[in-house]
Amino acid sequence: MRDLSLSTAIKLSLFAIVAASISVFAPAYALQQVAIAIAYAIAILGLNLLMGYAGQICLAQGTLFGVGAYVTAILNATYGVSPLATLPVAAAVSAAVGLLIGLPALRLQGLQLAIVTFGIAAAFPQLLLKLGSLTGGVSGLPVDAPETPGFMTDVPELWLYLIALACAGIGALLVSRVLFGDAGRALRAQRDNPQIAQALGVNLTRTRLWAFATSSALAGLGGGVFAIVSGFISPESFLAILSINIVIGSIVGGVTSMAGAFVGGLFMVFVPSWASDINLSLGNLIYGLALILIMMVARNGITGFIEKWISMIFRRAAG
Amino acid sequence: MSLFFQLVTSGLATGAIYAALALALVLIFRATNVVNFGQGEMATFSAYCTWQLMQWGVPLWLAVLASLVGAFAIGIVTFRLIIRPMMDAPVEATVVITLGILVLFQAACMWIWGAEQLSFPSLFPGGGFGIGEVRVLASAVGTLAILLAIALAMGFIFRFTKLGLSMRAAAFDRTRSVLVGVDVERMLMLGWGFASVIGALAAILIAPRLFLSPTMMTPILFYALAAATLGGWDSPLGAIVGGLAVGVTESLGASYLPFVGADMRIAVPIALTLIILLVKPVGLFGSYKVTKL
Repeated sequence: MRDLSLSTAIKLSLFAIVAASISVFAPAYALQQVAIAIAYAIAILGLNLLMGYAGQICLAQGTLFGVGAYVTAILNATYGVSPLATLPVAAAVSAAVGLLIGLPALRLQGLQLAIVTFGIAAAFPQLLLKLGSLTGGVSGLPVDAPETPGFMTDVPELWLYLIALACAGIGALLVSRVLFGDAGRALRAQRDNPQIAQALGVNLTRTRLWAFATSSALAGLGGGVFAIVSGFISPESFLAILSINIVIGSIVGGVTSMAGAFVGGLFMVFVPSWASDINLSLGNLIYGLALILIMMVARNGITGFIEKWISMIFRRAAG
Repeated sequence: MSLFFQLVTSGLATGAIYAALALALVLIFRATNVVNFGQGEMATFSAYCTWQLMQWGVPLWLAVLASLVGAFAIGIVTFRLIIRPMMDAPVEATVVITLGILVLFQAACMWIWGAEQLSFPSLFPGGGFGIGEVRVLASAVGTLAILLAIALAMGFIFRFTKLGLSMRAAAFDRTRSVLVGVDVERMLMLGWGFASVIGALAAILIAPRLFLSPTMMTPILFYALAAATLGGWDSPLGAIVGGLAVGVTESLGASYLPFVGADMRIAVPIALTLIILLVKPVGLFGSYKVTKL
């Protein structure tokens, strides 16, 4: 147990150093990009809970992300609510939408949720256009920048970055509360053997629904952060492919790792933009190959791979 | 009333395409317990191959034949390289890996042939004929005829040949099939090959209407998933009935339900999927499975 808290402390301080050095060294534009990556990372955190621990797969995480973004944008642009105050509402609405989708699909193992959510992800941009009077249709909605505190007015991007980071911190705290409690044990039990878990008194549907609602809430929170950081949203940002990209980010980073969520978010933002300098379809080619290779070779993603190496080096140094 | 019949006819023609792709999905699911989200994109790739062959001056029927053979090979290679090592992986892992197939084939099509839409010739003559006031297109009849031919051929193979029996055995119980001398791996491989051919046929049939593009089959795949869920994932007959039902409901819903309209027609299969999951989760023709601990 002491080892565990020690390694957690090491990881946390490493994370703090990386986060701080990004804020110091990155130029303003890159800082905003990183903030968007963190918004994705929040959604990935949720998906990791669902995929890595509940054994369910949601192909509409990008849609729930979009729901959160639109809740923030509509509350801010139409009703003048301050952007930061909209974030809890964004998370709550997304969680409610998630429950609605999950209720019929989660009674069965695995596949049904993937199939239903795949369709919902495809329909979402159409729905946004259909509800044009509410969502602004093709032209989208603007979101006010949150009020920047006095000492930071010359770098508003830094403030956005810090907001994103704080929300990610809240998300990570929420996920770790779930994972290290009874709920986490029930989740892992129903993933590994649903029949036995049920015999031991785990209510399968309720446990899965609960995990799905938490995951959806995180997607909504991430979406709200995304809307605030970008300052403008339109249906273009929430096409069906976004949901697949979030799955890719989650797998690349490592489905059972919190640090992996951030690696995945950065991967989602920076790899396509680098690759498209060479060839427009190269980014997708890398995505596809990365997905297949990681699933076949290193099931725990990049962070799992690094952790394995580090523990090997430690063991060699100790022995 | 003639509008109603007109809508049903056009719904059946589209439904035949959904049914064909759903059939491919169900074949693969029965054999390997994998829902192949990449099925549509693999099919698109084959349709592009047909187009390319024709650009090189190969006649249409020969180009189609050659790409169907190619599709068979693509199915087998995909199974050997990607699916076989993952056979005993949990559900979410197989979903992810087939998403990888989707992204990979889409990117490959875009890399080789670009993103713009290409026109694709129809296998059937233009025109059509009238029954009363209902106008029936020759291509609709042709598509349905091809679906019927596929269904009959598959029914014949599965029911009356030794190959079909072995394939059914391999899909039903892998371990015990090995014990009675069935080459399970080869049967599963053949299953992937056949499914890939049927999928490719669906893409070639729909390409004249939708125009060829790397993302052409992605929405079709969703309708096919709904069709397979509606019919039951372990029933080929269910896939066909489900596909036709989804096609007809979509066509009727888009015209008669004001909120749905032409732009939200994708809501129809979503609604159908949700309803069947609530009412009869295994699908219309599916069977309940008993698991032993």
